[in-house]
Amino acid sequence: MHTDLESQRTVASLLRDLPEDAAPPYGWREFQRRARTPARASPRLLYGAALATALVVLVASGALAIRLAAPDSRAVRLAPAAPPAVFSSQDRTSPRELPQIRAAEAGADRWLASLPSEPLLVRVGTRAAVTTLEDRIAQVDDLLSAQRADRAPPAHLLALQQQRLQLVDSLAQVRYAETLADASR
Amino acid sequence: MTRLSEIGVAAELRARACAGDEAARAEIYAALAPATFGLIRRLIGRRAAAEDVFQETMMTCFERLAEFRAEAPLGAWLRQIALSRCFMYLRHPWRRARLCLESAADAAAPAGLALVTTGIAPEALDLERALATLTPTARAVVWMYEVEGYSHAEIAGAFGRSVSFSKSQLARAHARLRAWYEPEEARQPCTPI
Repeated sequence: MHTDLESQRTVASLLRDLPEDAAPPYGWREFQRRARTPARASPRLLYGAALATALVVLVASGALAIRLAAPDSRAVRLAPAAPPAVFSSQDRTSPRELPQIRAAEAGADRWLASLPSEPLLVRVGTRAAVTTLEDRIAQVDDLLSAQRADRAPPAHLLALQQQRLQLVDSLAQVRYAETLADASR
Repeated sequence: MTRLSEIGVAAELRARACAGDEAARAEIYAALAPATFGLIRRLIGRRAAAEDVFQETMMTCFERLAEFRAEAPLGAWLRQIALSRCFMYLRHPWRRARLCLESAADAAAPAGLALVTTGIAPEALDLERALATLTPTARAVVWMYEVEGYSHAEIAGAFGRSVSFSKSQLARAHARLRAWYEPEEARQPCTPI
């Protein structure tokens, strides 16, 4: 007869005793062949950033078109404040210091938190943009954690932090456009 | 039995690998790949996905080998990379959505899933089979907590979820593992009724 706790300890102990070795899926030559395929994380992140920018432009244009086509005083009344200006025109190209980046991120995060969690009616394109951006932010977060754990050079961390800020800014723009479109319905 | 975190590599071999010596790299790959793939396969479950994560992990290992400070065995360092890659995979929104669907069909999980390791003792075989029936998230949580020694807060942070998510996943995983491992009539609750 075992209590639940005893069983849990037994299972935990057996888990720790399980062997770790498994036959590797392929040998060194196949590993090298696959390694030469260019699909790696960094290009994917760059592709993601380009995709996110394109989606932001698309959604913002859609929201603007909707607002111009059907002006409504209710939209103005319910529309949220514009997101904080994370970048000025020259900021996107010039490097920034870490405290500045963190302050800008905190501002954008606070603004995002102030928005309603999700509009009543959602557009597939907009949701896809939001999901993609959130996904990219999570990936950069993971990468940042890994780099910090491995004591990566500060310049590398700063570049990742800057990239994260750009993604957060894009997310704020998409969410703003989405909320405006929702309010104008 | 070899644990990944205990596998070390001679400094001279590592130096040759860092200098681009193919033979040295192949030797390191041969030493680390089995345990690395075993760990990843156990956490990810699906073989095709595990192969992708394994490939990325090993590539990262060789790309950043020069940054390894030799404060612990090379296997322990690689283990951190592998775990980080597994979490990235499990946290991906598309996969999370798919895992939600899978957890709905959780109860009907097939019993005869492919085992991660082969040629193990019969008493461990049941547990290995039971592990294979868990969802990837539950399997990762129970493995991280019970074997890797992560706290609930650390697991929650890694998954970007709450501490109660980690606790409930662990409790459900244990319930399923016990149900498999121990007949119901042999169990007795902690609190006498």
